[in-house]
Amino acid sequence: MMVNEPALKGLIEESQDLHSDAMREVKPALAGLTELHHDAPSEPLDRPTIDRINGERSTLAGRTTSALAGAGLLATGIGASLVALLASPASADEAMDIQMLQTATSLELLAVATYGAALELPFIANGNAVVKTFAETTMQQHKEHGGAFAASTKALGGTEQTNPNAKYLAVVEETKPTLAGPGDVVALAMALEEVATDTYLANLSLLVDSDAKALFASVMGVECQHLATLRAVNALVAAGDAGIALIAIPTDVAALPAAAGSVAFPKPFEEPDMASPPAEGAVK
Amino acid sequence: MSKNNQNDIDLEGLQAGIAKPNRRGFLALVGVGAAGVALAACSSDNATSTTSTTAAAAGGGSSTTAKAPGTTAPSGGGDLEVAALAAGLEVLAVNTYGAALDAATAGKLGAVPPAVAEYVTTAKAHHQAALDAWNGVLTGAGKPAVTEPPKDLEATVNGEFAKVTDVGGAAALALMLEEIAAATYQKAIPTLQSKDAIELAGSIQVVDAQHVAILLFVSGQYPVPDTFASTEKAAA
Repeated sequence: MMVNEPALKGLIEESQDLHSDAMREVKPALAGLTELHHDAPSEPLDRPTIDRINGERSTLAGRTTSALAGAGLLATGIGASLVALLASPASADEAMDIQMLQTATSLELLAVATYGAALELPFIANGNAVVKTFAETTMQQHKEHGGAFAASTKALGGTEQTNPNAKYLAVVEETKPTLAGPGDVVALAMALEEVATDTYLANLSLLVDSDAKALFASVMGVECQHLATLRAVNALVAAGDAGIALIAIPTDVAALPAAAGSVAFPKPFEEPDMASPPAEGAVK
Repeated sequence: MSKNNQNDIDLEGLQAGIAKPNRRGFLALVGVGAAGVALAACSSDNATSTTSTTAAAAGGGSSTTAKAPGTTAPSGGGDLEVAALAAGLEVLAVNTYGAALDAATAGKLGAVPPAVAEYVTTAKAHHQAALDAWNGVLTGAGKPAVTEPPKDLEATVNGEFAKVTDVGGAAALALMLEEIAAATYQKAIPTLQSKDAIELAGSIQVVDAQHVAILLFVSGQYPVPDTFASTEKAAA
């Protein structure tokens, strides 16, 4: 094939000019986009905030469309893509997905730290074998949950959360010195598992990414079982030595109190009343 | 469960333990059941029966009056298909737990530990509440309430139930049903469009998974064996 070099050079120069023009006009828009598509805004990403952000995006999209049209770039690939991107509300929702994943990671990291600390307590380390095994197994499961949430965070372009949830870390640190027996530890673990279960339940209807939604549903299905088990154990611990003796696998089913059949699920529907807000554990 | 109901059940000579459920049998049953429910989901007939369920909500040891998450009718047909599938499964669960209570009352399961009796009554009430919630979604959208279980799955479960001779067998059957239910909700959640439907499915998935944990515990197994809940046993 014959190449017309002068013509090709002209096309390249024209392309470079177009690129320069595009970048000059697009830079303000990109700055706005960067501002909008952040991992952790300074305010919680609740629904009203997202609506406001999307409103700002719409305004920005309108300004950008005018600017691109004025520069003759609206019909170019980059112009069309940018306008489409700004006109889409997805970015804010994706940012919210990332925040929920970061918050979930923060809760998992806290759970790992808390079970780890519990296992250092003599009445757990040297206490009931099933309780100890539960703490060890659950800690490992939370570790894997945290890893999965972190991986999803990065897959969506977010920054991995590496710190435990600050709000509940303070609660755990405050509670640690008061842990005097298995019942105290179980009660603390119940609270953390309920927060996790409720948070993931609340997130299900907020998430946009279907893979993230499936992950939350899967992990929620395990955290709630931790919670159910802890509720049953809590009731048996409260019954004293006779109850603690029934914390065994296999247990003496005939000796279990009737309440063991219902204490683990007090309501027919889980209510996410202990859910953490989406941005609570987001990367700052 | 209420104390009165508990007294109706033979609690004399409590069994020393419950036999471990046959999980291999569960899987075989789940396979048949999944096909049955999938067929049911495709059949409008299964969602339009007017035959009333034989089971009634029982007063359990735990609250059955908690408000269900929003039951506003979803606009999407897919959500309504899931609602009908879920309602059918809930009918089956209510009926199966009801049959277990009847069998226990008649002394056909031998001695029934109080915790198991309490569990059965509580779980039945939970599933009745879930059924009511899903039917609220359906009727709110102008669809008929579901009052019958998927026929194929019902036949399979009834066949298995006919073989149950003790509390261990009943617990095994209940475990299978709860695993199917929890997995079905979990699998449905990413496909649902309506916020209310997602919240309802999620709130029931939690409780059904908790039923599974306690059934595993009383069956002599570790209550939380999986790190990630699977949808492998989902009904559709």
